[in-house]
Amino acid sequence: MPDEQTVTQREGAPTAPSRTPSGTGLELKSLTKRFGDEVVAVDDINLHIAHGEYVVLLGPSGCGKTTTLRMIGGHEEPTSGDIVLDGQSLLGLTPDKRPTTTVFQHFALFPHRSVRENVEFGPKMHGISKAERREKAMTALDMVGLGAMSDRKPSALSGGQQQRVALARVLVMEPKALLLDEPLGDLDRLLRLRMRVELRALQRQLGLMFIHVTHDQEEALSVGDRIVVMHEGRIEQVADPFTISNLPENVRVASFMGDNNIFEGTVTSHEGGRVSIDGGDAQLRALAAESDARVGQQAVVSVRAAAVQVGEDARDANGPNQLLGQIEVVEYLGDLVKLHLAAAGRRLVAKVPGDRFPEFRGREGSSVQLSWKEEDVRLLRA
Amino acid sequence: MSGSSGPEGRPGLHVEEIVEAEQVVGERAQEEVALGEKERTGARGRRALTTAAWTAPGAVWLLFFLFAPVLMIVLVSFWTRTVSGFEAVWTLENYEFLFDSNVYWDQLWNSFWHSLVIVALALVLGYPVAYFLAISVTSLRYQIALFIIALAPFWTSYLIRAVAWIPMMGRRGALNTALQEVGLIGEPLDILLFSDFAVTVAMLQLYILFMVAPIFFMLAQIDRSSLEAARDLGANAFKTFREVILPQSMPGVVIGSIFVFILTMGEFATVRIIGGGTVSSVGTIVQTQVASVQFPQAAASAVFLVLAMVLGVFVLLRFSNLREEL
Amino acid sequence: MRRGRWTKRILAIYFVLFLLFLYGPMIVMAALSFQGPQGAVTFPMRGLGFHWWDQLVNGPRSETIRETAIRSLELSVVSGLVVAVLAFSLSMGYRRRFRLDGVLFYLIMLALMTPGILLSLGTSFLWRYMETETSLWQTALGTNVVWGLPFAFLIMVAVWNRYDATVEEASRDLGAGGLRTFREVTLPLVWTGVLGAFLFGFTLAWNEYDRTALLAAGENTLPLEIFALTVGSVIRPDLYALGTATTAVSLIGVGLFLLVAAIVLRRRARGVSEPREEYGELAGENGGGLAAGASASRAR
Repeated sequence: MPDEQTVTQREGAPTAPSRTPSGTGLELKSLTKRFGDEVVAVDDINLHIAHGEYVVLLGPSGCGKTTTLRMIGGHEEPTSGDIVLDGQSLLGLTPDKRPTTTVFQHFALFPHRSVRENVEFGPKMHGISKAERREKAMTALDMVGLGAMSDRKPSALSGGQQQRVALARVLVMEPKALLLDEPLGDLDRLLRLRMRVELRALQRQLGLMFIHVTHDQEEALSVGDRIVVMHEGRIEQVADPFTISNLPENVRVASFMGDNNIFEGTVTSHEGGRVSIDGGDAQLRALAAESDARVGQQAVVSVRAAAVQVGEDARDANGPNQLLGQIEVVEYLGDLVKLHLAAAGRRLVAKVPGDRFPEFRGREGSSVQLSWKEEDVRLLRA
Repeated sequence: MSGSSGPEGRPGLHVEEIVEAEQVVGERAQEEVALGEKERTGARGRRALTTAAWTAPGAVWLLFFLFAPVLMIVLVSFWTRTVSGFEAVWTLENYEFLFDSNVYWDQLWNSFWHSLVIVALALVLGYPVAYFLAISVTSLRYQIALFIIALAPFWTSYLIRAVAWIPMMGRRGALNTALQEVGLIGEPLDILLFSDFAVTVAMLQLYILFMVAPIFFMLAQIDRSSLEAARDLGANAFKTFREVILPQSMPGVVIGSIFVFILTMGEFATVRIIGGGTVSSVGTIVQTQVASVQFPQAAASAVFLVLAMVLGVFVLLRFSNLREEL
Repeated sequence: MRRGRWTKRILAIYFVLFLLFLYGPMIVMAALSFQGPQGAVTFPMRGLGFHWWDQLVNGPRSETIRETAIRSLELSVVSGLVVAVLAFSLSMGYRRRFRLDGVLFYLIMLALMTPGILLSLGTSFLWRYMETETSLWQTALGTNVVWGLPFAFLIMVAVWNRYDATVEEASRDLGAGGLRTFREVTLPLVWTGVLGAFLFGFTLAWNEYDRTALLAAGENTLPLEIFALTVGSVIRPDLYALGTATTAVSLIGVGLFLLVAAIVLRRRARGVSEPREEYGELAGENGGGLAAGASASRAR
């Protein structure tokens, strides 16, 4: 039986002007999920997500992001911990009783029902009258531009269209939180690029809480207000896209985000807000006012590929943060050129603007001067 | 309807741009298909020959041992009886004889009705089994193992399985003994062997697998995330079953029903073994007519049996369409 | 999940009852075959021993039973072989669309739908019309193959559906000719399916009564003999012994096939490292590729 309160909450046209739901938002408290005795899929996660916020759970396969999402949606029961939405625990509520809905990775449309019936399904389950739910469904379908295809079966639609049906099917519910499980994973690249912009815009218009699971770094940076990087069931870092990209907190975030050059070494001095590190063949100096690094300690630092200056840009030839590198591969990516280099007995990556491609074309094997600024050297937690 | 700042300021997607992206992606795919098509027509001649070579042996075998015999039955039903069998002289005598035979029509109606009852029972009793195997059991390994255990009797002789009911059903059979032990009945029940009841139970055991297997396969194909989606959208467990699982398993239900119906309708050996002389079916009638060298009559009986089957299948198909409409 | 737990428990209990319903009679029959000489066809057990099994092997009926069993075994093996070859060849044709594929498919399904007694009757008419005597090895073999063929065909179609045809293109690419590719690449990948087809042909013929009934021309098969023993004379526990024995033969055949299939699958699975997936996804997708269970012959 539909929960009366939920129904009334969901009434009103799905396309009504965006209003941010009031309440304290979603709170994950010490959330843990074990499968069997050995596997800890999600390990003691604490996270708060506000209404109207677009949060991305990002991480490699098996990091626990999907399991976390499924626990929020009610498709897995946590082993321990709590999930609280607007002050009310969701534990023990089956998915149909939760004010959340999910866009599944492979869309999970009902193959035996038409597009419109798919969208009508939710309202129908909540006992909304035929006429009203039909109207709601059509409005939602118009919203995703599929009003004209309402009588087709899902199998007669393209992947992108199916995805939009899945979107309409959850939007019609006006959920408090919209859960998206790799929603763009099944789409072609071009469409994926388009759809992520649309998702972002839609979320802004609706003012809803979106929780989006993906393993695609670029997608996460593109859509999220905040990104939660996960690894082996734990949260590694929670921050806005800029911080995640430029100021990774630890080695795992830095290496997962990609295009970061990571150096290990020993701290040789720490004075005047600068930390010097001896990385064997590479000498590094970082601007780190807040760091508590002590001389003699092991340290790990990262330098973004885009922060590495190459060739004529290099200023000083023999200080810290300078290296002589040999170009191994020149990778032209349109807007930018990615140089894969050998320097200091290791491999480095540097990104330079695309218009410098003529300068590097065919120069594999030649040496170039590499350098970066102190402020671009990021001290990482191990 | 376009976009965030649409005419009425309603939220929505920038559909034009999505469609544009979809078209670029889609056009490329269509070009590839078109190229492949062109390539295929080129080698069509040789491939047709290969296909014919592969299919010919099986096709010829089926034509000779299946199609021709079925055709013969129809022909012989219009031919004249002789002492040693039949001769190709056209007549309607056999059908006239059948139309006058109340016994035959009663029997045909009985068999028809009896088969439908068994179909209904097999469906009601078999569906939960298929559901358990396909939906409740989530480990693929257990699923396969249990399915094989459930299906293994299919590979044993149905004759033997029919025989095996004799010690279960008799006046002093296992069932009567058990019921008496428990105290449910004082006197042994006579209806257990050589009765319609006994035949029904035995046939159910023989043929229920033909119901379970197709339903199982349909259920196993259901995308589990679509069940989660249903729960997500507010359907409770029962509604998820009624709205999502049941409709998608309907093809399996219909196929299984047709299997069970046809197999029980044409049944003959089980009826003889379990029913003894007291229960007869169209199959036993045909058998008796054959035994007394009434070949054309047997053929005419068989033709009506087939017609009844076709009618039954038609009814079952209608039933499914009706259900799909709802 | 909690909601499903009770449903699942009740269904599990029901499933056990269902298995009892399926297997119970056979178990009772097997038990009753191990009675003493005074044993009857129903409970209670009278004595214990191998008397009726001894009767089966050495008794007055043993000669006929042995003869018919051997004949049945031969017929079943040949049926199985023919079924496997025909089903394989038909399914090879069905890897491409052709003009009459719909008609032929219905013909194959007709084989499944035609009651055995009618097939037997029609075939006897046909041979009578051709003024040829029916015989076990010409006529009965034909109808037995018709019975096994649709099952075997469906297995092979399922195998081809899971088969990635590009491996053949790859083989051609690497220099193998058409015949060589067939032998070195195609057959090794689908032979478990062919074995399954043989098994269906074998067991269906081994157990078939209706389709042989009017055609054996005096050369009885084991099922015919069993029917005669059941209907034509007084039932004694040696019939139970015979039933238990034939059931055992069938189940051993199935068991052997499953063993082979399991070994092949394990060998194929070894060395293939699947990418680690989200546990939630794993739990969700387990119900997926299920049809494999029936033929147990994935051609990955």
